Amino acid sequence: MKKALRFIRSMRFGILLLVLIALCSVVGSLIPQDKAVSWYAQNYGSLHGVILMLRLHRIFQSWYFIALLVLLCLNLTLCSLVRIVSVVRDRRRVVARTAALPDQVRLSAEGVQRLRRHLEDIRCRRETIGEAEVYRKNAVGRYGSFLIHLSILLVVLFGAAALYLPQVVDRTCLPGESVVMDDGTEISVDAFHIEDVTGRLDYSSRIRIRLPDGRNSEWVDIRVNHPLAFGSWKVYQQTYGTAGSVTVTNLADGGSDDFTLTDTALLSLDGASGLWYEAVYPDYLLDPSGNMTLVTSTTGRYEHPVYQVLLASDGNLRPILVFPGEELEAGGLRFRFNEPIEYPGLRIKRTPTVINALLIASFVLMLVGLYIAFFMPPVLIKTDAEGYAVGGLKPEGMRIKLDELLQEYRREE
Amino acid sequence: MRTLFIVTIILYAAAVILQFTGTAFKKERLLKLSWLVFLAAFAVHLLFTIVRGVAAKRIPLSNQFEFANAFAWGVALMLIVIRRRLKADWLSVAAMPMALLILTYAALQPMEIRDLMPALRSAWFGIHIGSAVLSYAAFVLAGSVGLRYVLLARRNGAEEESRLRQMDYLSYRLVAFGFLFLTVVILSGAIWAEQAWSAFWTWDPKEVWALITWIIYAVYLHLRLRGKRRGAAMAWYLVVAVPVVLFTFAGVNTLLPGLHSYG
Repeated sequence: MKKALRFIRSMRFGILLLVLIALCSVVGSLIPQDKAVSWYAQNYGSLHGVILMLRLHRIFQSWYFIALLVLLCLNLTLCSLVRIVSVVRDRRRVVARTAALPDQVRLSAEGVQRLRRHLEDIRCRRETIGEAEVYRKNAVGRYGSFLIHLSILLVVLFGAAALYLPQVVDRTCLPGESVVMDDGTEISVDAFHIEDVTGRLDYSSRIRIRLPDGRNSEWVDIRVNHPLAFGSWKVYQQTYGTAGSVTVTNLADGGSDDFTLTDTALLSLDGASGLWYEAVYPDYLLDPSGNMTLVTSTTGRYEHPVYQVLLASDGNLRPILVFPGEELEAGGLRFRFNEPIEYPGLRIKRTPTVINALLIASFVLMLVGLYIAFFMPPVLIKTDAEGYAVGGLKPEGMRIKLDELLQEYRREE
Repeated sequence: MRTLFIVTIILYAAAVILQFTGTAFKKERLLKLSWLVFLAAFAVHLLFTIVRGVAAKRIPLSNQFEFANAFAWGVALMLIVIRRRLKADWLSVAAMPMALLILTYAALQPMEIRDLMPALRSAWFGIHIGSAVLSYAAFVLAGSVGLRYVLLARRNGAEEESRLRQMDYLSYRLVAFGFLFLTVVILSGAIWAEQAWSAFWTWDPKEVWALITWIIYAVYLHLRLRGKRRGAAMAWYLVVAVPVVLFTFAGVNTLLPGLHSYG
């Protein structure tokens, strides 16, 4: 048992886990994830059985990948505990231990003086123990490695919570309408614009959140990178769409109504004659003989919108292309085609805000740990009348620096 | 502006040729000239980057061309800093061609200035991508030091021994620097992703390869802590890791489309 525990907290096991996680990640990046089963059958032929059996198509959610992460957490926890215990226990002993080191480099009396002056210049603290003078600096550097390991553990834990705890739904909402969530929270969209006033692509929605307790957010413009957070809700500008807009007038009584159409629909009095709405296209191309080809848009701009509809009368369907401003009549109705309406697709997320705050605090802790570990290495140097020795956990850098310093002294002499 | 870019490439190429000739024929004057030409290339490179930034009215880091341009500049900047601070002239022979190679890759990319797309209009843009430039540049230089180490390790002598120790430590410092900044890349990217896409992590290919790179260098740092794992083996490790960095930078965008495919 002791042997197993020692292995689980060992650096060797940690490295093994990291390598396995990296290998799974390579596979997960090369095999497209979360596609339909038929997609793998189509693209990988006979290999698709292996992919599905080993869950390589959902590798980051597979039991073995999650097991690797759990084992990494275990390794980090045990390794952090052992590390902090030994660092705290040894914090007083290191100075005495350094003072007891035999000289690694012999120096003349003048050399020792120059070295001591240099160490004082770089703001090392001096402690006299018997014959030896121990210079030390950056004691905090001893905690860097512990902080890094602890913060990685926290990032994995809070990261998993931030990934799996939130409720996320995607909704489209026409301007002037609202989306009501399960708890009664209401998200209203006032307007949506693809371009800003300068004509630059912007994809911005003006929205407001009303919580069930009656509290309202301000009306806020959200766009990519600028979501609205209110209460435990966060609303993102995610996608966009364009709906057809048709004013329908009953020729018999003169009554009219506006329809906003996002999907195919039949506008009819009797269910047979009238207008089949199919789609609205952003633009078209005309060839020299006057034939029109409808084109789609990647930006969402509708430069020259065209409606594609079917006129239904006497059991016949006649395809027609119509421009905004034009009118058609069928089945006792008049259809006036208006400029299309742009609408947003919103991503609505409910998340415990404390999780995000803890995750970001873990990020900061990790950066602090890395900075301390790499850029504030603890300095422990023992000097006596005949030379010096470098002690501590990471003596290498200081040894090289002092070697260079001595070479400089020798050149000067 | 294109002329400035072409002049930059020509100057870097001249510096590399002079460096190789000087090293091959042991001509000190050629090596000095190579360094002066390299400094001139760096200055023109900086000027080009500033001019492009002014013309684009933003930090010029938004597509493969601009990132590769900044990446090459980062390698050159670090080489200059290391040479000045550590008097590590020997680094030039491996690092100069790296800067030229990356800039040549930039030259193969579409160069026109485009409006920043909405997804990239964020305060995190400069931090995230700027850190990536520094991090990748440090890793590429660490690989260059590793290569130099491997070549020098074939000789045996007291002078070589001391220099090898310095090289080993310098590559560790470069990896530590790169690792810190790669961590900034990943963490700032996670915060940005939450702002833009609603999730801190989406297993997008670029994220995954940044994580793979991070793990590769984390393993290096751990192996190096184990006393015996130093020297030539670790130098080789750094050399072999460079293609992974380059794949994360360029290969992923080209071969594995995802949320980071901004062109």
